[in-house]
This record gives sequence, C-alpha cells and structure tokens, in this order.
Amino acid sequence: MKGHEQTLPPTAGSAVYRICTMTSCALVIGLSVSLAAIAFVEAVAWLNNALLISPRMRVQFDGSPWLITAATILVPMTGGLLVGLLLTKLSPERRPLGPADVLQSVQLAAPPPGVKAGLLSSVAAVVSLGFGASVGQYGPLVYLGAMMGGLLDRLKLRVPNFAAIAMSCGVAAAISTAFNAPIAGMVFAHEVILRHYSIQAFAPTTVAAATGYVVANVVFEREALFLVQFSGVQHGHEFVLFGILGLLAAGVAIAFMRLTLRCADIAKRLPVSPALRPACAGFAVGVTALWLPDVLGVGQEALRFATIEGAFQTWELALLVIAKLALTALCIGFGFAGGVFSPALLIGILFGALCWMLVDTTGIMATSGIVAYAICGMMAVTSAVIGAPLTTILIVFELTRNYDLTIAAMVAVVFSNLVSYRVYGRSMFDVQLARKGIDLSQGRDRARLSTRFVSDLLIKDFARCAPDEPSGTVTGHEGSLPFNEVFVLDRNAQLVGVFDVRKRADDPAAPVSSRMEPVALVFDESTTLADAMRQLEGFVGDVVPVVDAQSKRFVGAVSETDIIKTYLQATRDLRREENATA
Amino acid sequence: MQPLRMFIAALLVCLLPLGSRAQEAITVVSWGGVYEDAQRRAIHDPFTRATGIEVKPVTYGGGVDALAARAAKEGWDVIDMIEDQAISACDAGLLARLDADEVATDHERVAAADDFLPRAFRACSVAQNVYSTVFAFDDRAFLGEKPTKISDFFDLERFPGKRALQRTPDVILEWALMAEGVPIRQVYDLLSTDRGLRLAFRKLETLRNSIIWWQDVGTPAEMLSDGRAVMASGYNGRFFSAQQKGGAPVTIVWDGQVIGYEVWAVFRGTRDRELTNRFLRFATAPEQMAALAELIPYGPARRSALSRVGLNLESGVPMRDHLPNAPQHVERALYGDSLWYARTKELRTKRFEAWLKGG
Repeated sequence: MKGHEQTLPPTAGSAVYRICTMTSCALVIGLSVSLAAIAFVEAVAWLNNALLISPRMRVQFDGSPWLITAATILVPMTGGLLVGLLLTKLSPERRPLGPADVLQSVQLAAPPPGVKAGLLSSVAAVVSLGFGASVGQYGPLVYLGAMMGGLLDRLKLRVPNFAAIAMSCGVAAAISTAFNAPIAGMVFAHEVILRHYSIQAFAPTTVAAATGYVVANVVFEREALFLVQFSGVQHGHEFVLFGILGLLAAGVAIAFMRLTLRCADIAKRLPVSPALRPACAGFAVGVTALWLPDVLGVGQEALRFATIEGAFQTWELALLVIAKLALTALCIGFGFAGGVFSPALLIGILFGALCWMLVDTTGIMATSGIVAYAICGMMAVTSAVIGAPLTTILIVFELTRNYDLTIAAMVAVVFSNLVSYRVYGRSMFDVQLARKGIDLSQGRDRARLSTRFVSDLLIKDFARCAPDEPSGTVTGHEGSLPFNEVFVLDRNAQLVGVFDVRKRADDPAAPVSSRMEPVALVFDESTTLADAMRQLEGFVGDVVPVVDAQSKRFVGAVSETDIIKTYLQATRDLRREENATA
Repeated sequence: MQPLRMFIAALLVCLLPLGSRAQEAITVVSWGGVYEDAQRRAIHDPFTRATGIEVKPVTYGGGVDALAARAAKEGWDVIDMIEDQAISACDAGLLARLDADEVATDHERVAAADDFLPRAFRACSVAQNVYSTVFAFDDRAFLGEKPTKISDFFDLERFPGKRALQRTPDVILEWALMAEGVPIRQVYDLLSTDRGLRLAFRKLETLRNSIIWWQDVGTPAEMLSDGRAVMASGYNGRFFSAQQKGGAPVTIVWDGQVIGYEVWAVFRGTRDRELTNRFLRFATAPEQMAALAELIPYGPARRSALSRVGLNLESGVPMRDHLPNAPQHVERALYGDSLWYARTKELRTKRFEAWLKGG
C-alpha cells in the first residue's frame, strides 16, 4: 500500500471538530465559488456585449451591416486563436479541464490537475464563451468550483475524505449559483461527482449550495435562467408522448456525444497545429452565424423562443437542432474550452419544440401546448448527456416551481436515461474517462483498483532457480522458503516454468526442468489490481510472477495475500466514506 | 484721465449684467403645462427662496433638434429631458458632462449612488423622476370581468372593443412580447433579434383592425371618456389628471407598465457650471422630489424621496398609489432601456412603418 493514500484515518480529531471544520469550509467555499461564478458569468456577458455577440448589442449597430458581418466572422475566430494559444503555450495540461477531471479526481481519490492549468482553463472558457463559441458555461463553472474547493485541501485540516467533499462543495455552489437552484446543485454534486450519499458529504454540500443560492439570489438578485408559464398537463395520454419524447431525446443525446468525441478524434488526425484548431471551429461558427445568428454563444434568446408557439417554423427548428449539435461538437472537439451542459439544454429544448410542432401539425392528438414538450426535450437530452436524471428533474422543479411540468419532465428524463445508459454509457464524462482507461461503470471499488498496479506490490522474498538445477537441491530448501512456488528462470531471465517444492522427486538428481509446470498466470507492469482480482479467480497458488511486457524478462512476484489485502482495504475505505456521518 | 475714467465706467457697465446674471438667474427649460407648474411650486420657487437666485422658465416640446436650434440663442442652462433624448443629445455633443458627485448629494448616510434608481447617472444626465406608459380602460365598457394583465390588452375575445395606441413603435412591441409570455427581464433581449421583432408584429397583427392611433398625449384619456376606445395606451400622469380633474371613468392597469426616466441635463454652452450644479443638487434633493410627486404622479428617482410622498395638496389623494415606481406597481414593470431605445429607433421605426403599410 504505497503512495495513493490521500485520506487520513477517520479517527483524526473529534466528531465536533470535524463537523465544525467541514461546515465552515463549506461556507467559505460556497461564498467564494458563487462570487467567482458570478464574476465568470458577468465577464462573459461583458465580452458578449463588447464584441457584438449578444443580440442586444448587435441590434444597436443594425445601421452598419459590415461591422456586424465582420464581427460575426472575426470574433469567434480570434477567440479560437486566443484559446488555442492560452492552452497549448501556457497550460501544463495543454487542454481545457472539465467535470470529467473532477470526477476522476474524486472517484479515484487522486490529486486534481494543477491550479495553473485550472485557472488557464477557466480563462480560456471565459474567452471561448465571450467570443461566441458554441459551448456551455456550466462545465467550466463546475471545474472552477471544484478547483477552489480542492484548494482548501492544502490546509491539511485532518478531516477524512476532505478533498472529495470540498471539491463537491465547490461543484454544488457553482451549479446552485449558476441555475439559482440550490437543491439541484446539492444533488448534482452527489449524483455526478461523489456518486454516493453519506451524511458526512451531504451536510457540507448542502451548506455550500445554500450559500451559493443566497449570494446569487439575495445579495446580487440574479435572474433565473428561464421562466415559463405553464398551466398544467391537460390530457392523460400526453404522458405517453413525454415517454416517447424521452426515447427520441436519448437518440439526439447519443448522436451529440458520439459526434463530440468523434470531432476530437478527427481534430487529432488533421494536419493543423493544436493551437490553431479552435480558430478553425470559430470560423465555422462565424460563417454559420451569418445565416443562423442563434448558434452564437450560449443562445439564451433561442432558449426562450423555443417555449413560444410560432416563434420558429418547423424546418427552422430542425435546422437549428442540427446546426447547434454539429457546431458544439466541432467547437469542443477542436479545443474550445467549454461544457456540454448548456448546449445540451438548447439542443434539447429545440428538439422538444420540434417534436411538439410535428404532433401539433398532424393534429392526431390534443396537447397542452409547446411548453411542456420543450422542457421535457430539454431535460431528457441534458440528463442523458450529463448522466444526472435527478438533478435535471430538480432543476425543472426549482426553476419553474411547477409540479405538473416536473412530473412531465420526470417521465421523459427517465426513459431517455434508460436508453442512453444502455446504448452509450452513464454520461459523456464517464465515456471520456473510459477512453482514458478509467471505467466507472463497474463501481467505484473496481475503478480505484483499476488505477493501481500490481507492480507496486512486488515482493522480494521469493525463490528462483535455473532449469538445470537438480530438483533435490531445490526441494531440500522447502522449510526455509516463504512460498511453495519456485520460479524457474533461464539464463536470459526469462520465466520458463514454476516448480512446486512439495512435489518430492523420486530422483533428486533430475533437473528442475523435467518436473516443473508451465506458468498458469503471469502479470506484467500494466496489470492493474482490478485485472489481478479478476484473473485470480480459479488460480491455485500463493505468488504470481510479474514479467516485463516488452522483453518478457522476469521482474518479480506479487503474493495473492497482498492483492486481496489491498482489495479489501480499498473496499473498506469506500464503505467507510459512504457511511461516514462526520 | 478722462478717457481712463470713461473706460472704467464702460467696463463696469459691460460687466454688471454678466455678473448679476450669473449671481441671480438661471434658465431652466421644461415642458410647460401642469408639469412645469408643479416644478415651479416644488423646485423653482423654493430654490429662489433659499438662494435668492431667480429661475427663468423656458418651455419647449422636447427633442434634440430644439436643443440644437434654441439653446445657445436663448441662453439655456438646465434642461428637463426624456432620458433617451438626453443620450442622443449627449452623443451629439450638445450637453455638458456631469459629475455625479457634483450634481447630487448623499441622503443622510446613504450614498447618492445607492439611493437613486439603477443607472440614474449617465454621462450627461441625472434622473429626476419616472413616468410610465400604461394602458387604461373605460370602466363602463367591462361591467363583469375587468382587464388586469397586459395580455388582456391583446385579448379581443374576452375584452372586445377598440384599442387606442400611440402611432410609434415604442412600448407596443414590448407589450406584444410580454403578452406572448416573455418574462419582463428578457423583453429587450428578445426584441433585439429579428425573430423577436417578427413575433411582436405577429401579436400586433391580431389587433390591426381594432386600433385607433393617437398622436397627441392628451387624446387617449378623451378617447376612453367619449367611448371611441375601450382601452388606450398613454402616460400615467395624463390618465391620473383625467380621473382626478375631469372625473373620467378610467382605470389604470399597471401590469406591464414601461417606466422611463425624466432627467436633468445641462446645456454645454452654459455660462456658469457652479450655478447649474447648485441648482441640480437642490432639485435632486429628496425633499424637492417628494414635493413634486405630491403635485403630479411622477415617481421620485430616489428611494429616500419615495417614502416621503404624502397626500396631494389639492385633492387629498394619497399620491403613492399613483406613482409608477410605488412598490405595489413595480413587480411587473419594465424599465425602459434608454440607450437601446436611442440606438434602435431607426430600425424599429422602419419595421413599424413597413408593418403599417402591410395591412
């Protein structure tokens, strides 16, 4: 058990000390993160206005169409250039950071990327959004919150699981501030980041989320993301439609996620330097925006129009869904810093509105208006992308305060999640991590063991011999050997077999090679503890040899006992974390 | 010595009127009528009593053109303006830049910036009171259910009858979007898009055959009284005086009201900046603002003044019920974005004229 232990034993300090420390830290995190989140959003809005991205400024220069055209094309391109330079030249990580990095750090109890990389990623996100790239703001906000929470871990406050809880507090505060939805913020931190419910984590994240809400709502009087009026679902059969809408939305979400990751692959293969890739995506956004200005930036206006009957033609909605989906995938894949959360909201709400228009124009069924379908589509697509059904349902509830609408959204969300989980994965973040070799789908214990290697558990006291050694010599040492297996190595240190010292020979002079058995199980330096646990099933023996994957040279051995001990320890740590009260 | 004495005497004769003018009189330009009358009683006369400086009233009809044509010739100092016109005049270089610290004083311990309404201080102007464009209806027209929301203005089914509207693209486009369910805070954001404009005109289209246009601000109340219209847009002050003085059976609906700022500005060619600042500090004091609001229903631009407003001196009506920015009226009020107004005037007018011809 070397290295990876980050959490201190749960006995550190009294429960009162831990509760007080955690609560005050949650307050500090909630306060600072929500201020930072407001600053982030304000900076983006200021840039949008200054750079003629926001419609409210663009319309004021309606008299000079050339200025608008130039700004539409040049601003996103320049933004791309800036982001490319910021990330590739200055950031140690050379890429934007997001919820997947937070998830990785919390789930594996591994240290997060450095502060410099985090700050540069946040600046790059402000630039991306401010210059009109088609990306979202919540991913960067989540990372910013987690980073600020994680900073408190440096104080070494001797609270078990501190880093994970502090980061979750930051995430909860960021979501709570950004959406004006404290319950959703708290649930998001549990559902997406922590992935378990313990009182120890529950209390501080709630404090942080509530603090974020107070700062955003009471101190700064920020407006809600969207406000809708909805009088209720009027027909029972509509719930079937909501379910079908959820299924269709899963398809849209999967297409969106696949395309985004595909774009990243394509970008890597293109003969364009990484510093220039975002500028290419920016150019594409600018050119599209000449005809479809709704694709610029977060698209607050389009979000609102989608809930008004007749604001869009059917074909306009279809076009906009496709354009927004493709451009967002392009922007993120080509290296703009930004999230998938708000684009998913926009794509989903437009898709929901589109589905309603199709149902409404055919006239086969009576409906209760566009609002319910738009909101259902929005939440169904989003929940599949971020893998957070509870959070999205709660966002609807907190933003609309409408019970009927929440239930409608719930139906759509559940069906969407069901399909996308089966077909694609729990969320885009999970798939991103799985592509890096971190599989969270088998549970947290398996994931944590997947990041640790058997080569860290190598033991020194095992026996080896040459193939031509007489077997009697080897069996003669039986009592003094730590294990019954003796590894048989040739002159080039290649493992040729395993000799069991308990098998007494009739002829002690016979060479070991004549009596040894073939190697039943061998590990190399890439074998993780999770792999080892799986392969140990059915293995009879005490030690397993480890060889170099390339040269096949023998490098040592690991004992089965050590592997099982480590596994049990990891599971025990997780259980303790999940049942911790303070 | 004779020429020297004569020279000194001539110099004195020339300087005297200048000196005395700067010391004793300031030209304040306003809109005339009951409004200016109220200003005289609430601000000008008390100012003269307190300082001995005479206030010379000049009347104009608003607009940047009047400022350019008359201000220098007539020696204007302080001008009462609508905020978007003041912004245009400021952009045109006709107004003096104002320093917030010099034109307004703090109230007790509250800093002026916190006491005034948001964005009260602009480069060339300081807000003095707020007026509002509301719609009112004829009480006799709807005996059962009465209009209470801005969407009712567009609801010909429940509330049939003619609508009197001002023939400009101001306010009605905002109302059209509000009636579509757009939250008040997002009205200007959406109206800034082509889609938003189309949506607003589509809503307006539903009223096309029921609109009577008005041009003069006094007519909407008359149109309601004489039955030409059942609902009318207009300024809250005009409806108030029709109710109070003319006994007209009209009721104001505050839902969706569009609030505008009336501001003080200083002509760039004014001769004595210290004098204009002194006047502005006096005029923007909470006492004067509250006194004005007791005479006419224009809400004071400072919070501390709002709480001082009492009864109307003539009718004894509690004036706070009739102020656009009284707490009970502002929940669903839209604060007009003057900068946006000033800069989108041309576009909106163009689209409005096109829509008018389209019918």
